[in-house]
Order: sequence, then C-alpha cells, then structure tokens
Amino acid sequence: MNDTQVARPLMRLITHVPGVTWVLLMLILVFSSLSGNFLRAGNLANIGEQSVVLLLLALPMTFVIMTEGIDMSMGAVLSLTSVVLASTLVATGSIALALSAAVLIGLAFGVFNGGLASWLKLPPFIVTLGTMGVAQGLALVATDGDSIIVGTQLTRLYTTQFLFLSLPMWLAILSYGAFHVLLQRTRFGTYVCAIGGNRDALTLAGVSAGTYHVAVYALSGAMAGMAALVLTARLSAGHPSAGIGMEFDAIAATIVGGTSFERGKGWLLGTLLGVVAVGVLRNGLNLLNVQSAVQVSCIGLLVIAALLFDGLKDRA
Amino acid sequence: MREPPLLELRGISKTFPGVKALDDVSFSVYPGEVHMLLGENGAGKSTLMKVLCGAYKADLGQFFHHGKQVQIDSTAAARELGIAVIFQEFSLVPYLNVAQNIFLGREPSGYLPGTIDLKRMHVQARRILDQLGLSLDTHTLVHSLGVAQQQMVEIAKALSQKARILVMDEPTAALSDRECERLFSTIRQLQADGVAIIYISHRMAEVFSMGDRITVLRDGRRMASLMTGDATPDQLVQLMVGRSVDMSYARNFCAEPGELLLDVRNMSASNGVHGVSLKVRVGEIVGLAGLVGSGRTEVARAIFGADRVTAGEIWVCATRFAGGPEQAREAGMALIPEGRKTQGVALTRTVSENLGLASLPKTFPNHLFDPRKARQIAQALIQRLRIATPSPERNVQVLSGGNQQKVVIGKWLQAGSRLFIFDEPTRGVDVGAKAEIFALLDRLVAQGASVLMISSELSEIVHVCDRSYVMKDGTIVGHLQRAELTEERVMHLAVGQGSI
Repeated sequence: MNDTQVARPLMRLITHVPGVTWVLLMLILVFSSLSGNFLRAGNLANIGEQSVVLLLLALPMTFVIMTEGIDMSMGAVLSLTSVVLASTLVATGSIALALSAAVLIGLAFGVFNGGLASWLKLPPFIVTLGTMGVAQGLALVATDGDSIIVGTQLTRLYTTQFLFLSLPMWLAILSYGAFHVLLQRTRFGTYVCAIGGNRDALTLAGVSAGTYHVAVYALSGAMAGMAALVLTARLSAGHPSAGIGMEFDAIAATIVGGTSFERGKGWLLGTLLGVVAVGVLRNGLNLLNVQSAVQVSCIGLLVIAALLFDGLKDRA
Repeated sequence: MREPPLLELRGISKTFPGVKALDDVSFSVYPGEVHMLLGENGAGKSTLMKVLCGAYKADLGQFFHHGKQVQIDSTAAARELGIAVIFQEFSLVPYLNVAQNIFLGREPSGYLPGTIDLKRMHVQARRILDQLGLSLDTHTLVHSLGVAQQQMVEIAKALSQKARILVMDEPTAALSDRECERLFSTIRQLQADGVAIIYISHRMAEVFSMGDRITVLRDGRRMASLMTGDATPDQLVQLMVGRSVDMSYARNFCAEPGELLLDVRNMSASNGVHGVSLKVRVGEIVGLAGLVGSGRTEVARAIFGADRVTAGEIWVCATRFAGGPEQAREAGMALIPEGRKTQGVALTRTVSENLGLASLPKTFPNHLFDPRKARQIAQALIQRLRIATPSPERNVQVLSGGNQQKVVIGKWLQAGSRLFIFDEPTRGVDVGAKAEIFALLDRLVAQGASVLMISSELSEIVHVCDRSYVMKDGTIVGHLQRAELTEERVMHLAVGQGSI
C-alpha cells in the first residue's frame, strides 16, 4: 500500500468528521465524569458485549436504509427467531441445527418483506410493520409468553475466550468485516448503493434491481436470526419479547452514524460508531440507575442531536 | 452511399394511449457521422431515444444493424448492438465513485463469485478517462462532481461499453462555453474513431458546427433529413413549427390594455433566471414562450416569491412586491402550476372543498367553517365557470382535465386574484377542453384580470396571446407584439437565431 491509499480513508474520515464522533465523545465525557465506574476495563468490555446484538442488526439495517427502505420487523423477528432457536436447541441439543432454524426463519421473513417491497412496490414501512406484528404474535403464541430456558451449552459458548476476546466479540468483528467487504468489494454492495441512489440507472445497466432489493431484506432477516444466537446465549433463554424495540435501536444507531434515507448514502463505520454511542448511552444510564423507558427517550434525543450536528456542519 | 448505415430505423411507430408519439419514422446513422435530431417540444425526440435504447418497444417498424435486421426489444439488446444513450437526467449513482459508476452492472469480477476486482476496475476507468483527456480521480464520489464532469463520466460509461452509437440528449444544456468546447472536441475525437453520434439539440449554432446530417421531427413524424451543407436555419425552423391541429380559438384581443398590473424590472433569482424584465397590463393575455428548460417556470416561481429574487424589482399594482407566496396571494397573484393533479387540486376532495381552499380566511373570518356558505360559493363558481360536475360534492378526481383546471382557476378567483400566472394550462387536456379553457381566459381578462401564460405549444402562444415574451437560457431574448407573433419568429428566438 502506498501513501495515498492509506491517506484517502483517513482524509475522508477527517473531512467527514460526522456528528456521531462528536456525540460519542460527548457521551464518554459526560458519563466518565458522572460515574467513576464508567471507564473501568470491565465496564468497557461490558459495553462491547452488550453492543454485539445491536451491531448484528444495525449492519443490515444500514443496507436496508440505503435502499431508501426500512425494516420495522427486525426486533420482532429477533424475538421469534430467538424462541425458535431456543426450542430447537432444547429439542435436538444441536447448536448448529438451532442456529440454522433461526436463520432460515429470519430469511423467510426477510424474503417476504423484500418481495412485497420490491416486486409489489408496497411501502417498506407498512410491509415490515405488518410482518412485525405477525412475527411478534407468532413468538407469543408459540411460547404462551413464557421463556424457553436453554442449557449451559450455549452460555459456555458465549463466555468462551479466544485470542483475548469472547466469541460474540469475534462474531461482531467478523460481521463488520464481512459487511464492509460486501459494500466495498462486491456487486451486491454496489447495487445496494445504486438502488437507493438511482434505481433506474441500475435497471438500465441491465441489472435485475428487484432481486438485489429482495436480497437486502433477506439479509436483514437472516442477520436477525444470527443475532438471536447471541441474544439467547446472553439471556440463557429464548424470550418472546426479548427483541421488542431493537429495531428502534438499530435504526437509531444507523441514522446517528450518518446513513441517510435518501440517495443511497450510507456509511458502515458510522453505523459502528452509532452502535457504540447507543451502547455507551444505555450503559451509562444504567450505571446512573436511569430506568429503561427513559433510556429510550434519550436514544431519541441522541438521534436528533446527531442530525443537528450534521445539519450545522452542512450549513457551515 | 458507401457501406450500409451502422444503424437504420425503418417505419418506426409508437402509440401511447391517446397520442401517436412516433409515426412512421425512418432514420439512419453512419460510422463517424454526427446526426442532428431537431424538433419542437413534444415532437417525439425523447420517445425515439427511448425506442433506440430499448426502454420502449416500438409498435411497428424494423431495425437494421450493418444492413442486417435486428430486434431492439430490451435495454440489453440495445447495449448488445453498441447503442448507448446519455439522457439529460444522468443515470449516475450519487454515492458511488467514478469507476463504480462507469462500470455499473459490468464490474470486472474478482477471485470469488460476486466480488469486484477493484484494482482492475480503477485501472480500466483511468484508461478511459485518459482517452477522453480527463484528469478526474476515479475514487471521487459522483455527487461531489459538477454537471459537466458528471456528463463526462456518462460519456466514459458509454465508451466503456464499447458503444459505437452514442445518443446524446441536449448535452450542452447545462454546460458553460468552455465545457462545451471540451465536449465538442471529445465528440470530434469519437467521430474520428468511427463512432456514430445521434445528437439532439435546439441550438442552431451547434447544429451547423457539429452536424453532418440533420433530421427534423414534428408531431412524431419525420419532416426531412438533410445534409448540413444543404440546410439553412430558416428552413429548419420552418420544418420544426406549424402544428397540424386546427387552432381557431375565440379570442377578443385586447385593443387597449388597462393599468399596469405586473411590472418586473431586471429581475434575477436564485433559481438561475437573470435580467428578466416584463410587463402585464389589465385585460391582456401575455405569453411566456421558450423551449423546455429555458427558465419559464423559474420566472413564474420567482415572481410569485416561491424562489428567492436576488436582484431587480417586482411591482404589483404600482406597489413594490417583496415576499413569499402568501403575500403574493394578498397582492392578487395566483400561480397555477403545471402539475395540476399534484399541485393544483386536491384530487380526493370535493369540488366544493377545492373551490374554497384558497379563500378560507376571507370567507370564514372567524375561523369557523360553514358548509352551507361554502356550498353557495361553490355553486356560484360552478355556474360562472361552467364547470361540468354532477354535484359540488363530487371528488375532483372524477372530473375531466379541463374541468379540473377550471376548479383551480375558480379557487383563485374566489381568493380575489387578478393576475393569473399559468404554467402550461392545457397540459394533458383534450382539444375541446383546451378551447374551453381559452374561452374562460378570454372572459377573465375581459372582466379586468390579466394572464401571464407559459406554454410549450407555439400554436397556443400565437393564437391566444396578445403579445409574448420569448425566453432562452434563463433570460428574455425577445418580445413580440400581436402583429409580429408567428410560430417562426418565436422559434427563431427560442433556438437563438436572433430576430428576423
């Protein structure tokens, strides 16, 4: 690699300096001054681990939003796949089988969402709001609202350390890397950007935009299934309401990270920072004993703050 | 002639519901030739382009490539034949970089399936850009480029597809003189390489300096194909104008216009119009003619206060006007936009509701809505404007285009408007409704209103207006009185041939 190649992403980072960086820095400053425990290594590791599920959701959410769409069903699909995963695990004892079942169910929801949004041209918000209800309902019906406790097998996997990091952290790192490669170096990623940016151009180039559009939602569903593995392991149970509201956090992290609902503008590193910002906020508020409902309000404010920073920057 | 043409179209026809967009058009282009395509707005140029690139399928007609019959029934088929089209709205993706845009849909494959060989893509993009003499960085995101550079990226994209037939739709419309020169030298270079170029333009200077052959379309038909050397500007204008439709509107032309209602003095605005001066007097219908993109709508928006005026003055009824749409309404102006269904009427609301919409504060000063009073007002307007509706309570949606337009006019009449600015008042209405709308305009001005009318149809300007301004490139280039108002003169001014 020569200098310019190294310098380019760095320059881009500096010239961008997106709102999310300032927001994140501010949050860290505030919480480290308010709580002595915030900057302890144990707590930082905690933030990282708590953010894994959100990252697994926010990465595909970034793609969905880049196509000028949205996936409201993500949290509900996460709940449902978590329940599916737990019950399959209890029944068969095979983690691989359980994960496959969860990912497949997620995939099915994603294909359904994408099919309606892309081929039937229904508004993604409405479509995914509908499937959100469907998935949430199924999760509750299948369990009668109870948790499905899984054995220690999954918990052991969750806490396994490998090269200084826990397995969920490795999963997060690998996923981020995979999404980065997808966006930067594959046709799929290029076309995700083009679907939001100029769908006609893509169609005129002879690409079946519809197929890729569906694939984006399919990926979103499948990743919800993947996230279900981490969530279930962390809770040692599949719970039918565990994922409620997670789509909100995922959308928030994506928007805070600078991805736009227009013209296919998306930024994965921003999403990563957005996830960390949401994680820091939740963790910090927990340390300060702020109740969970108030945390949701704070995340909402976070989104507005980040947009405000970007808006001010644009005007400057 | 020498070898068979690179591409030949024979007897192409294309009909849309209610319109024959192309009628038996034949057309050919040879390698290394620049074939100019001329025509008035709506003459069928865009449809022909869409047919060429496979976006539309011709109803009738044949295509020959190197003398061999071929089908163009999809964009892929057109690409296969080496046809590339550069539209005015670019087919670029804003947040992809130059190389990604050039190779969109044809990215060089990497080792793994679905991956892109980025290095090769950028090297190849570099090579094409070098060929065009462009120093652009292939990593630059397209949204950060200027219009001219984006256009070069479009050309690079076409070349990368090994295009042998390049179709360009008014490529200089948004370029500065220097950028134009750059484009022309690129075109000459392509020509030397044997690329055939189909070039749509309104600018006479370009047509004569760049073209080898010229084809003129009018009303979807080919009027003539000429060698540039055999053509004169006058002759081309003659061929372009002269709609076949009968145009005998009842119009009592205004012999003695009244007081000055609108006086625009040397106005420039943020939307690109500059140095515009025009006057409208009571009792007049004044035309604002020009080609699509010449800045007519922008003038209307600036006058109305929808876009910011940066220089000059607007006087309404001898009062200096400065302000937004609300002040414009109070000053008695009404802007009736082109998008009737999106901006003019609320389609899913009733005739009565629509008619009352602009005058609610006036009709109901104490903020309480009185349905009976609203219905009375609506009834009166329906009678006065002869709006054909089964009842005031029907949704505007079910009305014909002409009657919808009357609802829009009625809405503003009720608000006390005296100066009506119409943007394409007859877009999408049938011939009968057109006559009726013009009869209504005639009555309006007779009763003391005045009208500034934007129209792309020369025949309307010529037959309806008391006088007309002609726009080109964001400014007014001519002012024709009733006696001098002919389609030829308007067209000459609009394409930049000077006055005759």
